[in-house]
Amino acid sequence: MNDLEPAIGIDLGTTNSVVATVRDGIPRVIPNRSGQTLTPSIVAVAKNGKKLVGALAKRQAITNAENTVFAAKRLIGRRWASKEVDDARHVLPYPLVSGPDGNDVRVELAGRVFAIPEISAMVLAELKADAEAWFGRPVNKAVVTVPAYFNDGQRHATKDAGRIAGLEVLRIINEPTSAALAYGFGKQMERKVVVFDLGGGTFDISILDIGKSVYDVVAVGGDTYLGGEDFDRRVIDWLTFSFAKDNGGVDLREDKMALQRLKDGSERAKIELSGLTSTAIHLPFLVGGGEGKPALHLDRQLTREKLEELTRDLVDRCIAVAERTLKDAGVRPAQVGEVILVGGMTRMPRVQKAVKDFFGREPCRGVHPEEVVALGAAIQAHALTAPQPGLEVLLLDVTPQNLGIMVVGGYFQTIIPRNTTVPTSETHLFTTVQDNQTSVRIAVLQGASERAVDNELLGEFVLDGIRPARRGEVEIEVTFDISADGIVGVSARDVVTGQQQSITVTATSGLTEEEMKRILDERVDELLEKKQTTQEFDLRRERMSATMAEIEGLRPAVSEALERTRFGKDAVQKAEAVLSRVRQAIEARDTSALGEQEESLERTLQLFKGLAGAGRGPGAR
Amino acid sequence: MGEVAELIDRGIKAYVSGRVGEALRSFQEVLERDPENPRARSYLLLIHGGAAGMVPDPIPLPAPAAVPLPGPGGESAAPQPTLSPPVSNPPAAPSSPGGDQFAPSPWDEGPAAAATFVLEPDGGLDLQAVAEKSDLRPLVPDGGTPPAAQAPARKEVDVWMQAAKELFALGDFTGSLELIEKILQVDPDHGSARDYLRQNEATLIAMYESKLGPLASVPRLAIKPEEVMWLNLDHRAGFLLAQIDGTVDYEALFALSGLPRLDTARILANLIADGVITS
Repeated sequence: MNDLEPAIGIDLGTTNSVVATVRDGIPRVIPNRSGQTLTPSIVAVAKNGKKLVGALAKRQAITNAENTVFAAKRLIGRRWASKEVDDARHVLPYPLVSGPDGNDVRVELAGRVFAIPEISAMVLAELKADAEAWFGRPVNKAVVTVPAYFNDGQRHATKDAGRIAGLEVLRIINEPTSAALAYGFGKQMERKVVVFDLGGGTFDISILDIGKSVYDVVAVGGDTYLGGEDFDRRVIDWLTFSFAKDNGGVDLREDKMALQRLKDGSERAKIELSGLTSTAIHLPFLVGGGEGKPALHLDRQLTREKLEELTRDLVDRCIAVAERTLKDAGVRPAQVGEVILVGGMTRMPRVQKAVKDFFGREPCRGVHPEEVVALGAAIQAHALTAPQPGLEVLLLDVTPQNLGIMVVGGYFQTIIPRNTTVPTSETHLFTTVQDNQTSVRIAVLQGASERAVDNELLGEFVLDGIRPARRGEVEIEVTFDISADGIVGVSARDVVTGQQQSITVTATSGLTEEEMKRILDERVDELLEKKQTTQEFDLRRERMSATMAEIEGLRPAVSEALERTRFGKDAVQKAEAVLSRVRQAIEARDTSALGEQEESLERTLQLFKGLAGAGRGPGAR
Repeated sequence: MGEVAELIDRGIKAYVSGRVGEALRSFQEVLERDPENPRARSYLLLIHGGAAGMVPDPIPLPAPAAVPLPGPGGESAAPQPTLSPPVSNPPAAPSSPGGDQFAPSPWDEGPAAAATFVLEPDGGLDLQAVAEKSDLRPLVPDGGTPPAAQAPARKEVDVWMQAAKELFALGDFTGSLELIEKILQVDPDHGSARDYLRQNEATLIAMYESKLGPLASVPRLAIKPEEVMWLNLDHRAGFLLAQIDGTVDYEALFALSGLPRLDTARILANLIADGVITS
């Protein structure tokens, strides 16, 4: 192992997240502390008040829906009034509230309001802790991936989430770019690559033009409400209806516990059918059978054929979206050099076949579709922290979207195009449209649409004091400056009079600096508390281990003493039980269980000392 | 002892459902098998309308059937005074014919004698009290509870509370908890009941958790997965069992279950006791 501070790559997904690193030159996924490579991007406060993150939160997501936050990625960096938030409010079971001034959206969880970056930070912190457990040392640096269509605000919010989690986010990179990076396309010939990403909750398709070290996302499409969960739902419905038919109309969806198990079982069966042609779904004691009757079991066989029949239209929808995206970008399937499959759902044979049929070529294999994005991020993180001559790939910080202003007719005029390397500066000349016009309104926007209204308004200002003149005679110089930190400065100047006005647009996650400070302070308190608990455990373990060693040391003398008497054997048996409980508590790192046994252990020591002393007494030989 | 537990369960269910006669028979049967059974004695005290602080000793205990109890003079024994039912009204009925050969039973006095009924000032019977303690249902539909009828409910609450305290003192926390829950259904703000609810729950949780071992340890299935369906579980136990996959510790199971901690602890302790799971 080298001495460089470890750096990680994180695929912060809508449904699942993955953390990876480069070790000994090889990119590899870091399993979480439960041994899984995927960590569900779910956070919950359980009914007993315990905070849950990842798989545990997922396993109670239905039984405790109102206190479980999933798909926070749909909301991060969004404005409260946005269409996306409005859509999400109709779908998500947990309560959403507006942030101060409607700048962002917040979520209510167990009676407390959290900013979305705080929720994402909990997932990131879990991944950081997994990485630290794997490395056995602190991990502070990370590259985090986001969808290619994320705007500045969303990227900034993701960065804030990393900061709250105690990570220095070295760079935010696009998911499709990261996937392509993991395949090492930058080292090969120039080509057009399609990244077909069918994840748990969303479907994204991206077309990339890849050169030697340039990864240009030229087109993005997708469906933000199409993913693996829709496939699961089809299986759940099929099971629910067949169960109702067999059991006098019992509707499993009315029982949260049954529905939770049904969802888990359906997802498991779907995954298994990527490798098998048939699988059993066996859920004993699933639902109460009614008064005085035993609980009912669900026992069904699901075939791959049936799964494909149940989900055919979903696969067709993916292909229709792919077709539309390619058409919009003016790319024919035959022009595509490679197709990269990303997301767990692309392991379904029917999806792979549909992709192959549409593009007329086999998709790339060799990298796990659920891990590829995190691996790419890890490669980038490694390149940034341990640069090697000849390998300074990789990705430069670029503007994710076109930046510009609104012009007459409600159109959008791009001043700095998407994928421009930052820092950068660009100036354009504009003119007045009315005679004797003395002021102009500069609306700063970002987006891909020609129509200003379809893009996101970043800020606006008015330049007045323009000299009166006929339309077209006054020239206004508009300059966009983007610093290395992504701060956009926009200025407008009357070329003749020198009259000038400007604004600075800083991408915001919706969190104010005071809020950020409070959150970071809270985090420090949490860490201190955790450290204190760990110290307490270590001290207690040390103390009790010494007592146990002393007891073990007395054991031969005690055995000898017991051979000469019929008394004391019960007490020794009890002592053995105490020792066993202490060992279990140490193994489980359970401070309170260890504390409960401390007195008993001390008594055991006294007992052993007494017995051993008796064994060495005057009558003993 | 399994029969005794079953009889107690049956008795409690009958009592809680208002089938007092059936409850009485169940508890009497328990005492036939286990004369010192504290739960049966407490419930019998309750059924007999025992006053606060009354000890459950004077509950009629049947002697072995058809075995005459010899008196000091070699005569068949009459019912011993200490075994008379703790009721003051109506007075004990004379022994049935042939009473020399049979032990006393509350039924000797007729069903009505087994409970305390409130007589109206004019000497009439409180029908509501009869209805509440009888297997019979009122023949007229309920037209809302008349104010006078609420008094017995309050009175019963006091009796239940006393019995709950005694069960608690006897170490029967489950029995005590059942009564406390019954009281809180009638009077959700009953302060003493709330205190006992907390104490009972805390005690039971501690009892069940002590059977689990360290809460950070990970339980595992101790039987083959295909044998699970042959168990006798309810769907809540089925849900918890489905979460036990060798990766989740007890503390996480408490969080995952979504059930009250007491219920989760009880189910897990039962699963361990039945050898279904192991720590």
